[in-house]
Amino acid sequence: MKKQLKKFAQFTALSSLLVLSACGGNQAAGDEDGESSGGVVKADIGVISYISGPGAAYGEAITNGLKLALEEINGKGEVKINLVVEDSAGKQDQALTAAQKLMNSENVTGIIGPTLSTEMNVVGPEADLNGVPIMGTSTTAEGIPQIGDYVFRNSLPEALAIPAAIDKAIKKYDAKKVAILYGNDDVFTKSGYDTMKKAAEEKGLEILTTETFQKGQSDYNAQLTKIKGLKPDLILASALYNEGAVIMDQARKMGIDVPFVGGNGFNSPEVINIAGDAANGLIVATPWYGEKEDDKVKEFVSKYEKEYGKKPDQFAAQAYDALYIMAEALKNAGEADRDALRDALAEVKGFNGILGEFSFDEEGDVVMDPTVLIIEGGAFKEFN
Amino acid sequence: MLIEQLINGITLGSIYAIVALGFTLVFGVLGIINMAHGEIFMFGAFIGVVVTSTFKGPLWLAFLAAVAVTAAMGYLLERFALRPLRNKQGVSHLAPLISTIGVSILLENLSHHIFGPGNHPFRASFAEISFQIGSITVYLVQIVIFVISVLLMYALSFWLGKTKAGKALRATAENLETASLLGVDVKRTITMTVIIASAMGGIAGILVGMAFNSVTPQMGLSIGLKGLAIIILGGMGNVKGAMAGGLILGLAETFVVVYGDSGYKDAIAFAAIIIILLIRPQGLFGQKISA
Amino acid sequence: MLAELINPYYLQVASFILINIILGVSIYITLSTGQLSLANAGFMGIGAYTSALLTLNFDLPIIVGIMAGTLLAGVFGILIGIPTLRLQGVYLAIVTLGFGEVIRVIFVNWESMTKGAVGLSGIPHMGRELLNTVKDLGFDPKVLGLQNNQFVFLAIFLILLAVTVSIIAFFRRQNRSRVGRAFAAIKLDEKAAESMGINITYYKVLAFAQGAMVAGFAGALFAHVLAYISPADFAYHRAVEILIFAVFGGSEVIWGPVFGALFLTVMPEVLRFISEYRYMIYGLIIIIMMAVRPQGLIDVNILNWVKLKTSKRRQKHGTSSQKSM
Repeated sequence: MKKQLKKFAQFTALSSLLVLSACGGNQAAGDEDGESSGGVVKADIGVISYISGPGAAYGEAITNGLKLALEEINGKGEVKINLVVEDSAGKQDQALTAAQKLMNSENVTGIIGPTLSTEMNVVGPEADLNGVPIMGTSTTAEGIPQIGDYVFRNSLPEALAIPAAIDKAIKKYDAKKVAILYGNDDVFTKSGYDTMKKAAEEKGLEILTTETFQKGQSDYNAQLTKIKGLKPDLILASALYNEGAVIMDQARKMGIDVPFVGGNGFNSPEVINIAGDAANGLIVATPWYGEKEDDKVKEFVSKYEKEYGKKPDQFAAQAYDALYIMAEALKNAGEADRDALRDALAEVKGFNGILGEFSFDEEGDVVMDPTVLIIEGGAFKEFN
Repeated sequence: MLIEQLINGITLGSIYAIVALGFTLVFGVLGIINMAHGEIFMFGAFIGVVVTSTFKGPLWLAFLAAVAVTAAMGYLLERFALRPLRNKQGVSHLAPLISTIGVSILLENLSHHIFGPGNHPFRASFAEISFQIGSITVYLVQIVIFVISVLLMYALSFWLGKTKAGKALRATAENLETASLLGVDVKRTITMTVIIASAMGGIAGILVGMAFNSVTPQMGLSIGLKGLAIIILGGMGNVKGAMAGGLILGLAETFVVVYGDSGYKDAIAFAAIIIILLIRPQGLFGQKISA
Repeated sequence: MLAELINPYYLQVASFILINIILGVSIYITLSTGQLSLANAGFMGIGAYTSALLTLNFDLPIIVGIMAGTLLAGVFGILIGIPTLRLQGVYLAIVTLGFGEVIRVIFVNWESMTKGAVGLSGIPHMGRELLNTVKDLGFDPKVLGLQNNQFVFLAIFLILLAVTVSIIAFFRRQNRSRVGRAFAAIKLDEKAAESMGINITYYKVLAFAQGAMVAGFAGALFAHVLAYISPADFAYHRAVEILIFAVFGGSEVIWGPVFGALFLTVMPEVLRFISEYRYMIYGLIIIIMMAVRPQGLIDVNILNWVKLKTSKRRQKHGTSSQKSM
């Protein structure tokens, strides 16, 4: 451990020296020299991801996206990044120990992750206290970047996504009365519900009823029958795609044919796999749309498919852009220093990635326009 | 609307009852609460998914496969988690409970690894058959579930009360040693009980998969705990009590959603456990607990 | 020198081990009268939520919150303990299982108070609060050559260590007292114990309440070490995890669950690849232990053997090495 610390000290001293000399060189001799010798910033970036356990699929998509970005970034040679990946198994205490390891044993410059908002609630304050910039790529709950100055995210928060989806649905279907259905024992769906309720109230919708369900439940008939009797124009459902797909299936079987509006957790091609035709009429807002007519997006999709044999989802796409944002900030910071990286991250404006144009606001939260999608004829299509 | 909810409640209640029958059979004979019963039920559902969705097999084959697999699991459960504890000196009466908790944890996580964490749709054309009565849609599966639960209850009552094997079973339940002295093959009787109970769990699993089109590794824990509540409600080891308890819980859960707060749906079962055991430990329909 | 050795990562792991040890002790106490309580995750939740809510909403000092959480868990222990004592072993286990789940459902549904499944964040952190206090007093950890976060985690670790050692010491003492002998008699044979004039109701409630208090205490510590809690932290799986500490380590002597908690917390940390199979291994451990060694790895015989060894060594070297247990 001592050795590592020493190494790190040497490394930072060396790199800052190099940067200094580069600046000096710039002033004295001209830029050619400076670019080639001292412009490359080398940094260790830690990754905390949900690699084992029930949500391992999320962690896999995220690390895949990161690896793809890493290759490209290091290939370009403007910055050299080394990723140090740790598993959190989706648990707060394990995420915290992983973060401690990264911050104190591995001495990383910045951290990407963790995967879940619950984990970020625990890890964020610790990173902030230690002055390590941390960026979530999939943490969508309210209040994450507000934890502290060092906490960022590039994942589209529910607070942006859900109102966008509800807005478009209201306009299209002239909806006035809604029913809300949500999973009340899950952090993700509960916080999605809070946003949903707020959005519905702001838009002046009449909430006919609010029903809940729990993990491991497979029978939603009681709740759905009640909703059916109230005849809503729209059903707002804050559910993960696993439960959400089953809910839609049972609703359609019962004869409920109004559209569903879902949150981030509902947004997955898996809904179509599980529910089949019953999935038609699901409206979600997403930061990521793989069919977009955009060269960057097409290149990313084809590369990802070639490498991992499946289509990238939003988790892979957000992670991919996150590392690019980190790299951009590192380049601007000019050195592998935690404080410099934080300041550079806060400055990121108008970054153009595969998710579209991206900026951080003053708090480190996301400024971007989500795309609203609807499932029609068994596929996601842009919803207008 | 009320009639539709009534049908929902009875369907749910019938499923609970089938699960509880498996619980009650094992408890009645062995005095053991089999905490792994819910997970065996879940495996039955998964076998159904694998046969119908992965191998595109017919429904009857799915039933056969599920019964065969869960019966085998019942045998393994008895052989490795219960039998080693039976004739051991100084083993606390808590040992089988703890041991089956171990089996349940193992099975739940095993299915995570084998089948994946997600939800698996159960596609059977049989599940799509429905008919309209006025404005109400009734699915054939719902009727089948109710009929099967009633049949199983009567079959079990008859078997326990009238047949020789059933009498041996009851003798074993009364007193293990006496039964053995009277020429009952105790070992075989016990093994058979656990196997039959497990197979019933497998049948329930497939029925749930068909009725709700949803199979996940977590479903075992949730329904296992409910089944536990029902046998306490209906009286431990009481076959008709399990049926009644199942229907009561199913209806109660449905009507909490209709008239109350769906958030407390799950709490009913657990609150019932506490209240019944404190006020009427023998259950609503039980006479007395035999220790 | 010191500063480099104190790595918050190791201290963090050590802190979780200590909390788990306290949880292991909590189930051991009730087991020592032959009762199995599966409500310890629920009691842990009561302790955690009480302390977190008091410190969050009323700005009470952490220590007051922890004490209140512990006491409330104890009160619930008595309330649940008295009526359930009519029930025999298995029934008691089931009532406690149901109680734990009811507690969790209440945490989930009582949204105005607990924020439901989203959980409580921003709970005052034991170490950070302490850091602020000592800084206000004009003491800077840099004097000791410590970084702020090193100080924070060292403080947590030392507090937990002191607390854990005192809890173990207390119950070891109690075991050798009148109370401990009554517990043992009840565990061995309830009827015989009663006929010898032992007030079994009193002692069973005592054991139950003590277990609840210790679990509530561990929960309150957990809340102030992690600074975030949610109902999922106190679900069925936590109850089973606590049970495994006692099943694996042993429930005859207090060192059993202590060892169980220590080993089972360190194992997935050291062998990261195992952590994916953690619960499958837990399940197997339970089945195998129940069939082969129901008293757990560490029982009286092993303890006596160790004592023999150490006393021999003591004669040789003249120093005690009992800590190695």
